[in-house]
Amino acid sequence: MSRKKTTSYQQRQNKQGYLFMMPWIIGFAIFTAIPFIATIYLSFTEVRQTVIGFEFKWIGLDNYIMAFFQNVEFIPAVLAFLGMIIPYTFVVVILSFILAYLLNRITFLRGLLRTIYFLPVIIMSGPVMYQLLDSNSITNNAESLREFSEIFLVQMIYTYSPQFARILVGIFEQLSIILWFTGIPIILYINGLQKINPSLFEAAQIDSANSWQILWKIVIPIIKPIVLVVTIFTIANIGTFSINPVYDLIRTATENTSGGLGIASTFAWIYSLLVLLIIGAAFLIFRNREKGRRHY
Amino acid sequence: MKTNYLHRLTRLHKFQLVLKLGIYFILICISFIYLEPIFKMISMSFMSYKDVIDPSVEWLPKKPSFNNLMVAGTVLDLKTTLVNSIWYSAVLAIGQTIVSAMTGFALSRYTFRFKKIWIMMIILAFIIPIPLLMIPRLMLFISAQNMLGFNLIGTPIPQLVMALFGQGVNSTILVLIFYNFFNLIPYSLDEAAMIDGAGPMKVFTQIALRLSASTVLVIFLFSFVWNWNETYVTGTLVRNSIELLPTKLNMFDSAFASFASAGRGTAQFRINEAYKMSATLISITPLLILYAFVQKQFIQGIENTGITGE
Repeated sequence: MSRKKTTSYQQRQNKQGYLFMMPWIIGFAIFTAIPFIATIYLSFTEVRQTVIGFEFKWIGLDNYIMAFFQNVEFIPAVLAFLGMIIPYTFVVVILSFILAYLLNRITFLRGLLRTIYFLPVIIMSGPVMYQLLDSNSITNNAESLREFSEIFLVQMIYTYSPQFARILVGIFEQLSIILWFTGIPIILYINGLQKINPSLFEAAQIDSANSWQILWKIVIPIIKPIVLVVTIFTIANIGTFSINPVYDLIRTATENTSGGLGIASTFAWIYSLLVLLIIGAAFLIFRNREKGRRHY
Repeated sequence: MKTNYLHRLTRLHKFQLVLKLGIYFILICISFIYLEPIFKMISMSFMSYKDVIDPSVEWLPKKPSFNNLMVAGTVLDLKTTLVNSIWYSAVLAIGQTIVSAMTGFALSRYTFRFKKIWIMMIILAFIIPIPLLMIPRLMLFISAQNMLGFNLIGTPIPQLVMALFGQGVNSTILVLIFYNFFNLIPYSLDEAAMIDGAGPMKVFTQIALRLSASTVLVIFLFSFVWNWNETYVTGTLVRNSIELLPTKLNMFDSAFASFASAGRGTAQFRINEAYKMSATLISITPLLILYAFVQKQFIQGIENTGITGE
């Protein structure tokens, strides 16, 4: 009893706070922080499973040489992944903003539409997406490619840059799948849009700004921090989503516990570095502008 | 002068009306793009195998039948996988709910040292891609099972342990929802309880959790749905020892092949789109039913993450 009295308020706060945080901190250390570092180490070793446990042999950069120069599947898979994540993120971030902005301007049917847009978050899983993409590619691929290539605009773009035209056609082909990633971003945007002080709009209207000017001069600057959150969220969401070509490679290498764990961690490490780099780039792009805004 | 003004006003109203109609038109069209895969699944599930190859059949099957759904249900081994998936996701969801409530409570109620760093870590845990962590985790569990002498891989234990220590699916989002909700509960309630002699644990269970029953439900449901849909971690740690609905859907093609070769090898039993789509439809139906009842809470749950506020 007497000891309890001598502990200060801050000490009690520390003690009780850490008491509640403890499970999470232990879990983070064991299942996230240590594995994070261990994977870096593992990517330089050859791992063998023996009867007593695991045996590690330091082999230097061999795994990396193998991944980049000897394995014929890895580089194409990474490129396919990059070709997916960058345009997808772009489309998701912009489309979900447009949808949220439009949804914010109506009242009738709003709940229903929002429910529909959010639905994919609930049902979206790797296998479901796999089946849908698979069925799309079998039935429609040949057809839709022809359909799209007949559009004048696509042909025009194709003459300038075939690569870009292909990405564009890819986006339109899988539009409903890409749209399925917009569920949570739309909600985040709507939430942000509703927090904008309405008197700002009034002030702008009094100064005879039209709604286009209001959108660009008021709404978008205010919403920019949320764009950052949405961008990072979308990259993390698509990047950790199990429908991507690199995952399959990592998984097959992981299943080979007798000798494949080293190379699997090399794949995983290169892949994650890419995702983290993209997130970092997004962060830098949006942070700079935000800093400038904070001056006033 | 006055009529001119009135004239302008009505023109403005007309413009507004057209604009509104345009917005509705766009939004409704887009909502169809969202639902198109689901409509397609439903329409394909009722097609007979003749309708599938008939190019004149786009949406409505000529001879609707339940055959596809029945076959897909048998191939998916629906009775076992459905029950397995439900209890599996529910167990993990309970674990995640408890730990994210505790973490959210700690962040919202106490100002302990390095709190900012821990918040950063919680967000970082969301960004790190899972494959990077899975290999050491797998090795950890294999070593642990060698030491303990009973199987861990192939049981729900590894995932339950990770869920209980806050490293389950999308734990970060769950923690943030709790954090923001607990922030809304006035601190004076805690103080009142503490003056009456309640310890921190009692404040947590009797005040914070009692007042946030609806949030607890939302977190549980989110966690349930996400664990249901999670296949990468489950595929690595459980593999095929427990038959879960999404995992089974993942290998539907091979499962169907073995089913067809065991049964009648007629043209009807060749793998086709209709079977795959019916299987997909079956696997999402439980989630669709769930969503129909609690969609409002789901959306509010995401609004409550509050990551947009700061």
